[in-house]
Amino acid sequence: MVQLTIQNVNRILHDNNGERINVLEDINLSVGSGEFISIIGPSGCGKTTLLRLISGLDQPETGKVTVDDQLVTRPDASRGYVFQHGSLFPWETIRDNISAGLKAVHGRHYDRNLVAHYIELMGLKGFEKAYPHQVSGGMAQRAALARSIIMNPELLLLDEPMGALDAFTRADVQDVIHRVWKQTQTTMVLVTHDIDEAIYLGTRIVVMTPRPGRIKEVVTNPLTFPRDRTSDQFLEFRRAIQDKLNFGKKPISETI
Amino acid sequence: MLDAVTLSKKHRSPAAKKDEVQTKYWKPWRLTWNVLSLVTVAAAYFENVTVHSQELVNNGAYKGFLAAYFGYLLIVYGIGSVTKGKIRLYSGHFAQLNALLGVVLIGQDLLTEKFAMIKLPFFVSFAQILDQIKTDQKLLIASTWSSLGLWLVSFIVGTLIGVVLGLYMGRYRQFNYWSFPFLKVIGIIPAAAWMPLTMVIFPTSYLAEIFLIAFAVWFPVAFMTIGGVQSISSDYFESARTLGFSEFQIMRKVVIPGALPNIFIGIFTAMGLSFTMLVISEMIGAKVGLGWYINWAKGVGNYTQVYAAIVIMAILFSVIFSFLNKLQEYALRWRKSSKV
Repeated sequence: MVQLTIQNVNRILHDNNGERINVLEDINLSVGSGEFISIIGPSGCGKTTLLRLISGLDQPETGKVTVDDQLVTRPDASRGYVFQHGSLFPWETIRDNISAGLKAVHGRHYDRNLVAHYIELMGLKGFEKAYPHQVSGGMAQRAALARSIIMNPELLLLDEPMGALDAFTRADVQDVIHRVWKQTQTTMVLVTHDIDEAIYLGTRIVVMTPRPGRIKEVVTNPLTFPRDRTSDQFLEFRRAIQDKLNFGKKPISETI
Repeated sequence: MLDAVTLSKKHRSPAAKKDEVQTKYWKPWRLTWNVLSLVTVAAAYFENVTVHSQELVNNGAYKGFLAAYFGYLLIVYGIGSVTKGKIRLYSGHFAQLNALLGVVLIGQDLLTEKFAMIKLPFFVSFAQILDQIKTDQKLLIASTWSSLGLWLVSFIVGTLIGVVLGLYMGRYRQFNYWSFPFLKVIGIIPAAAWMPLTMVIFPTSYLAEIFLIAFAVWFPVAFMTIGGVQSISSDYFESARTLGFSEFQIMRKVVIPGALPNIFIGIFTAMGLSFTMLVISEMIGAKVGLGWYINWAKGVGNYTQVYAAIVIMAILFSVIFSFLNKLQEYALRWRKSSKV
């Protein structure tokens, strides 16, 4: 059981001219065990910053982030993080990348069977000895996912992990993530700018607006699993989310 | 799930391996060139035997060399002409260079010992150098071993100091703040400038030589290592932290491998400097070694011996260079190959 709480969080940065930017303003969010939260918003709304605050890679100016009443002060293996570009170590093979965290925590006597299990689960069999540049983008992201999930984290944070993939590979990795979420029941937080992806995976959708970055609304996803991207309910819910985001509605003249 | 991939070396098919060799040895196999190179080497032999010599030279070692070279070419071409593998590609690729080498050997032989157009004692024929090497072989072998030993110890010491300093200076801002000015000022001094001082400060001249060579090595290695550490993408540090790496593990698993490409650039820069310092310091302080041998030969006015030492150095340093190259290839096997 895990309880993530974000209370009155503000994150301020200064731009090159020394001007204050409220990257995040008054963020409040509570995430319970087994949830899949999709955070969606246009670029610049601070969604990645929010994810970094949850992981401990970044600290808020005011407010606090707690996991099970423990204040988050630094990154920890119990909060897995999958980066947009995977960030697999290019100097290690796929197998060594996947077992990197296990080795770091358990030393030489890590569970090799577990590594084999995840290589199998992620469809990476036969590529254990390949280096990251030798595999496709989808495989690299599956390996990055395996590297984090193998640590059995309380919380898995996904920072647009499918952002750099083509549409077919993206759908494939989305299914992998969904399968892992269902099997392990790990609480997951996904940051994305892809509305379909947010709806396809999330149990709740957090809609954010930019400058200052605020949470506009938290919407519970009414759709049941398995979800069909082309069903009427899906499209209807998609339209509702789009409306909340003002997606494609603002004339260009207004934004400039 | 079908993913387009190229597999790691162990998984590579024989066909892929052949492609790799083919890009390395790209000149096509031509019978004409192979035969021509055999002809030029044979011609070099007959020219040496038939043309009247103006200088007094014992050509025994040279003839032996030419015969061995001819035999080697014959074997390689023989295998190359009947097989389809690596040896055929290799012999086809180098046939033109071998033919050129035959012509060069004839040319230098005619210019020196046959017609004496460029004269002794400053210009000597290859035949005479080989004869000198044969005569002095015991001394030269001892000198070579001594030089190699001295170089190896100094180079390893210099590289280790450079890498360790570079890693810490690249990783820790505070350490960098306090030490970088010293690195900049001390490192830029040519090692040779310390020579008079080191000879009196160090208890033995061997230690002084180690210091001088290591001094030439540590700076380029440290400098490149710092840049290497600083160029590592912060993504790797962050993913290491989210995976629960300790600082020591980050050093071992992220900083060192990430800086390794740059460390090797530093090592190769330092290599040339280290050879220079090896020879110079042996000329000044040593009682043994190839640098000492050259200096001694100069003293007695035997320039053939100087050439002999130069030939040995060319071989020794080439071997060291290709060994380091292989080491780099292995250590950086994870990189996308940048070869065309």
